[in-house]
Amino acid sequence: MLDIVVCFKWVVDEAFIRRTSSGDLDFSSVDYKISEYDRNAIEAAVRLREEYGGSVTAVIVGAPEAAKGVKDALSRGPDRAVFAEDPLFRDLDPSQTASVLGQVISSKTPFHLIICGEGSGDVYSQQTGPRLAEFLGIPCAAYVQRLTVKEEKVMADRKVEGFIEVDILPLPALVTVLPDIATPRIPGVKDTLMASKKAVIKVGKNELTAVPPPLLKTQSLKAARVERECEKFTAEAEGIKRFVAALQKRGVLK
Amino acid sequence: MAGVWVLGENREQLFELLSIGRSLADKYGTTLAAFAFQDTQAARDCIARGADRAVVLKYRGQEGPLDVFMPTIVEEVKGKDPDMLLIASTYRLKELAARIAERLKAGLCSDCIKLVFNEEEKSVEMERLMYGGSAVQKVVCLSRPAMATIPPGTFEKAEAGSGPGKEGDVDEIVQTNEPAVTMLERKVREREAKDIREARTVICVGRGFEKKEDIKLAEELATVLRGEIAGTRPVTEELHWLPESLCIGLSGIQVRPDLYIGLGVSGQIQHVTGLRDAKVICAVNRDANAPIFGVSDLGIVGDLYDVVPKLVDELKKGF
Repeated sequence: MLDIVVCFKWVVDEAFIRRTSSGDLDFSSVDYKISEYDRNAIEAAVRLREEYGGSVTAVIVGAPEAAKGVKDALSRGPDRAVFAEDPLFRDLDPSQTASVLGQVISSKTPFHLIICGEGSGDVYSQQTGPRLAEFLGIPCAAYVQRLTVKEEKVMADRKVEGFIEVDILPLPALVTVLPDIATPRIPGVKDTLMASKKAVIKVGKNELTAVPPPLLKTQSLKAARVERECEKFTAEAEGIKRFVAALQKRGVLK
Repeated sequence: MAGVWVLGENREQLFELLSIGRSLADKYGTTLAAFAFQDTQAARDCIARGADRAVVLKYRGQEGPLDVFMPTIVEEVKGKDPDMLLIASTYRLKELAARIAERLKAGLCSDCIKLVFNEEEKSVEMERLMYGGSAVQKVVCLSRPAMATIPPGTFEKAEAGSGPGKEGDVDEIVQTNEPAVTMLERKVREREAKDIREARTVICVGRGFEKKEDIKLAEELATVLRGEIAGTRPVTEELHWLPESLCIGLSGIQVRPDLYIGLGVSGQIQHVTGLRDAKVICAVNRDANAPIFGVSDLGIVGDLYDVVPKLVDELKKGF
């Protein structure tokens, strides 16, 4: 039996972000989604439960509009959800998110294993999982591609530059997972109907000991620009010749 | 005590961090320290390349997960109170950095690609990408120390002789605590579908190709340039002319080759995001107004079916 907590985030779908002519970002027509990495994390949690028995609790920290995401997450197989909800939770830095997650998890849901996506689809700072492990004082392995559970221990294949490191973590523990851990299912109509019957435990800001002050301040957010030389050549023999000469000059022909 | 500290898994990463670390340390008016793992010679070479102090962190016995050094590093920071920690963004160090930051209650800028010292505030403004590369976020840490992870390859390596210290002792710190996580083994990664993230030359197939068979044109160019083939999202994930693992862009992989050549690639932001770190970007497109030309260094305006064979012939002459 394995009680699993899986954390997820409700994020802006970046495909809907427009760029104004002045280089600002236009969020006026954006839609939201469960961060892709977290969909794979949820799938991994549900498959572990199918294999070893136990439960899956999906935990989210977010603003009230993330309620849609809670239902989406539950349609993907978890047994229940814990939703730490407050308008202030729309913009937390990774240390704040980890603190709120940590407080909610330790007070509301006993666990053996916490699974987080490697990073979020919007900010992608890849800090929340390891920070949460540290907040809770439990062992951690990040960028895990494969998980096996055996006798109060979890074996994690984690990706490292050039090789795979196979680590053994005593439970309770936290892992952050890479997308190849599991391909997410596409919820059917029945899954969506079942999702609305599952328990959602809501936790307000006043139920927490404290939300710590931010440690990072965003000064600006601008559309990314790529600055290049933009030199054009014709398709005539002469143009091609000059193009190849330009490549040679830049030292990229080997 | 103060200082700028750099931490990397290997020499290359350390040397790169030393160059940005040196310039920040000078602006802070403080010293530069380098932390290496296991490799005493790498630590020593850091002194020749500008570090005022070098430390090597050593395992007590066998090598294991790097996080065994976390408490040691946290204690060092608490004792010596550095201004800033710069850490290479590798898989293991990204995790380690986040956990150190949490222990210290410090702000951490992940995958920072630009650092600018603000003289008035005596703080460092850091830039990083958000929303899959379509946005640049500028942040400052509200903590001491300030922390950043920096992707390998972001800065040039510091050269020997560029710093004040030529020689110096390497401090050795041996692992003090028992690891919570133990390493069972290291496995060589099975050869995945070709990993083009490390390719020096990438030829990208776009929707300008009319049918799958025509990709052989791109392959001919790749052969003569000794490059690898990749594709845009329509060509990989939608048409499946190429494996999905070769998809460059927001929904695929990020590449940073010396040379990228997009053939019949229109240049949507979702794709361009995946190649913004390429050294030289080239495009072949018959539409002179295609957005790809706006983000290219060199472009040929013409039909790829006409241009590519000519280009292959011209390149062959040079070899």
